[in-house]
Amino acid sequence: MSPRALRPLIGAVLLTGCATPSVTLLPTEEGKQGAVAVLETNGKPGESVINELNSRTSLSGRPRTHAIDTSRLNARQRALLDQLPPPPVRLTLYFKEGTTTLTNESEPGLDFLKSEIAHRPGAEVQVTGYTDTVGAREDNDELSQRRAEEVLKALVDQGIELSLMSAVGRGERDLRVPTADEVSEPANRRVEVTVR
Amino acid sequence: MINRAVLTLAAVAMLAQPGWAEIARIKRSMGATTVERGKEKLSPKPGFLLLPGDTLVTGKDGQMSLTFIDDTRFSVGPNSRISVDKFDYNARSQTGEFVTRVNRGSLAIVSGQIAHSKQDAMKVRTPTSLLGVRGTKFIVEVPQ
Repeated sequence: MSPRALRPLIGAVLLTGCATPSVTLLPTEEGKQGAVAVLETNGKPGESVINELNSRTSLSGRPRTHAIDTSRLNARQRALLDQLPPPPVRLTLYFKEGTTTLTNESEPGLDFLKSEIAHRPGAEVQVTGYTDTVGAREDNDELSQRRAEEVLKALVDQGIELSLMSAVGRGERDLRVPTADEVSEPANRRVEVTVR
Repeated sequence: MINRAVLTLAAVAMLAQPGWAEIARIKRSMGATTVERGKEKLSPKPGFLLLPGDTLVTGKDGQMSLTFIDDTRFSVGPNSRISVDKFDYNARSQTGEFVTRVNRGSLAIVSGQIAHSKQDAMKVRTPTSLLGVRGTKFIVEVPQ
């Protein structure tokens, strides 16, 4: 083979050399420690955990991790991170006892939701109902679902488009104020609205 | 007035069904972008609903951002081909399984409820490896 014919081949080898699949691990917005586990390499199982923040790990052959300076991410990586959607926002609404009328304190929440939705192209809204621990678990799943659907209707009445929204009831899961079973607790009888 | 109330109720009942297949919404789509669904090639715009099995494809100048119903966020870079092979999510228990395949290109991920629910409930496949996501923000790059 002539040197001229070899040239594209060398180019291809160099390109492959620096172009291996990789994982870049970064701190979360809350600065939390996270990790990515490599569970399989080239079809072979074997677990190695990457938990060094601000690091890059090459994924061909045995995973190798090295620290990186995040102020020197390349333009493509920077653009990728800049274009992540904003984190979802959550708002808790309380209602006057036995009604679907918002408390005076929760009233401004609707304006907040409207403005959040307007500023998020392709917004999705999830309305999640919760209960306290009084009653059977299954009944509370149902009750929380009904609460969520009532709030969803209230939001439709406020002019928020129905096609953006869904309702779910989580019953007595994730109590805001942890209590034993069969404890009446107003702070746990709530509806949370998530705007994604 | 009555008609409107009935319609609203019917729509609410429909949306509240657990079988609703929406898994994510496109927030931003720039340059050459396609969502492949079986043999269909769709043009995503903000608000586009993603279904399990969809493949996100971007060209040289393409970029897409999306948020999943479990709060997971994706930013897809240029020259990418990324499939959501599996997305099962129970919004009531906030648990599920999520498998994404990065065939080529680049993907930034901020993980959500599924990754949080159980160790390695969220996985990412690259041509050479299988990754378990344990509550974090990271970039996967698969050069061509």
